[in-house]
Amino acid sequence: MLKVENLDKTFHTGAGDVHAVQNVSFEAKDGELVAILGASGSGKSTLLSLLGLLDSPDRGSIDIDGTQLANLDSAGRTRYRSSQVGFVFQQFNLIPNLNARENVKLALEFAHWPKADRDNRANELLGIVGLDESKAERRPAKLSGGEQQRVAIARAFAAQPQLILADEPTGSLDKATGQKIVELLREVATTQKATVLVVTHDEKIAKKADRRFEIEDGVLKEIH
Amino acid sequence: MPDEHLKGSSVNAVRRGIRNTFRNSVRTVGVVVILAVAIALSISMLIARDAVTNKINTVRASTGNTITVSPKGFFGFSGGGTPLKESVITGLLSIPNVTAVQESLSEELTSTKTSLKSPTPAGSLGGQFGFGSSGASGFGGSSSSTTFSIPVRVIGTNSPGNAVVGGANGGGTEKLTSGAAYSPTSTADVAIVGSSLASTNKLKVGSTFTAWSTKITVVGIFNAGSTFTDASVLMPLSTVQKLASASGDVTSATVTVNSLNNVANADKAVAKELGSAADVTSTQATTEASLSPLNSVKTISTYTLVGSVIGAAIILLLSMLMIVRERRREVGVLKALGAPNRSIISQFIAESVTFTILGAVVGFVVGILISSPITSALVSASGGSSSTSGFVRRAGGPGFGAGGSGFTPPTGGFANRGAGTFRFGGFSNTITQIHTSAGWSTLGFALIAAIVIAALGSAVAAATIIRIRPAEVLRSE
Repeated sequence: MLKVENLDKTFHTGAGDVHAVQNVSFEAKDGELVAILGASGSGKSTLLSLLGLLDSPDRGSIDIDGTQLANLDSAGRTRYRSSQVGFVFQQFNLIPNLNARENVKLALEFAHWPKADRDNRANELLGIVGLDESKAERRPAKLSGGEQQRVAIARAFAAQPQLILADEPTGSLDKATGQKIVELLREVATTQKATVLVVTHDEKIAKKADRRFEIEDGVLKEIH
Repeated sequence: MPDEHLKGSSVNAVRRGIRNTFRNSVRTVGVVVILAVAIALSISMLIARDAVTNKINTVRASTGNTITVSPKGFFGFSGGGTPLKESVITGLLSIPNVTAVQESLSEELTSTKTSLKSPTPAGSLGGQFGFGSSGASGFGGSSSSTTFSIPVRVIGTNSPGNAVVGGANGGGTEKLTSGAAYSPTSTADVAIVGSSLASTNKLKVGSTFTAWSTKITVVGIFNAGSTFTDASVLMPLSTVQKLASASGDVTSATVTVNSLNNVANADKAVAKELGSAADVTSTQATTEASLSPLNSVKTISTYTLVGSVIGAAIILLLSMLMIVRERRREVGVLKALGAPNRSIISQFIAESVTFTILGAVVGFVVGILISSPITSALVSASGGSSSTSGFVRRAGGPGFGAGGSGFTPPTGGFANRGAGTFRFGGFSNTITQIHTSAGWSTLGFALIAAIVIAALGSAVAAATIIRIRPAEVLRSE
């Protein structure tokens, strides 16, 4: 269970202060797919950075299953990211000289999974996202965009995190592939019992979510 | 967090770093080649420096700890000057650190003064510079010398042992081939003659010849392997002083100092004691003048060595900086995935070390291969003066003008400075003959240099990695 309360983030730039996230509060249950809609520069990526502890909020709290995250030190944040959060990026961001399986195993390594179990877990995840053994041996450059995003999803879910943060996961894919990816996210979220937050500007994608929010100038509102 | 997990994570990071080294083959080859060139240069400079240093030490060790004294302006028989007095020279023993003083008096025996005939042919140079013989025009005279013959050189010395056995004053190769040396305090009419002179005059041990109308008995024969030296005669100093009517006169002295470290100070003290009456030359000063080109090579190789190591470090540092900047996004992703800085830094250090090891291995082999030609080139380049200064002589230093041989010192380096007529010969020819070799110290240097280079290259990468904020990198998508 994710619980966010009164989250604020302001960037101080030469042109003045930019209130990227303003007083954001919401809750999401395990296995729930939540869509956050917003235009470019609305603050949706900043909100994901705060939830993924890539950045620190100026104010507010982030709580996962009763654990307060906002006050963690640097090492605690790193541990949290490795074990409790999975990221899916628009540009996939796979490591180019590692094959699909090694990319998935990377997340398991950082989460300190037992070495003996990493291969099995990576193969299991790649199987779930629909990539067979031959694809698992390929480097990202030898995979299609959709396949690369599947690897990224497998990597995000590999360490069994409680929260998956997907930033425009379909942005670099065609519509049909994008739809499949969102369905895959929903399916894996259910089976893995993880909360999935998908940031998108695509209404069709957002409609597949259990709940929808809209963010504008850093202010988050739920769309019913 | 279990330790085994940390260990495993580090091992994987190192493995990824090594793999990353070969991620871009063109860049890998480029960086390795540039590093190899810099490391090869530093290795070759180190070897050159070691070889030159060894040579300098060897030459210094072989030059001895002596100071040569001769009358001001004295230049063998070609120069002028007034003989020094034995009493004054003996007084040099009171100078601190002076352990011995060997004196000698050089005289020439023209055909009117001796029954001996010089084995040295006059030649055209002998006629040109002929002096002292009947019918000759004397020094600096005309070249008409139909009756000219080379005078026989006589060296009166109180150190026949040093003058003969094992090479006088450390420079020669002459050996007593028969008979025995006379006593240092001898006043007898005896002589040790050079082998060619003995052969020409059919002299053996026990034979006699006349000099200054006195019968002289041959007590020994020596061979120095040099025409010039083997045509001379050694006699007791007192005998020569008496027969040549040069009582108390000395034309050369060799002052021995107890340590190489004290030669410079003793040199100054002797010069001060004798004032303007004498020219004072230490072997050390002469040697240092000869070694000047090698010292230049040593300095050049040291600077180049340091420069090439710094250059290699800068090359790797910039390469790693470029690589880290190029992979900023990847570093951001790794951080987002929960990779600790330690793990990411380990990965880049492994990459940097792999580059360095590859460069060091190639550079070490190339460096050893090119060290010999580079050393030769350096020595030749800065030793233009070295090779031409084969015969080193300071102002007023002793020398000898002889017919036929002219001013050329004897081959083989017969250095009878005690007699005031010989100088280093063939010495500087060997200065440029330098042998290079690489030992464990060179390998150790390569290892240390590689570690320093890799550490510097990695340090910048590490500093850059720590500053990368994943949120900023990923926001720029």
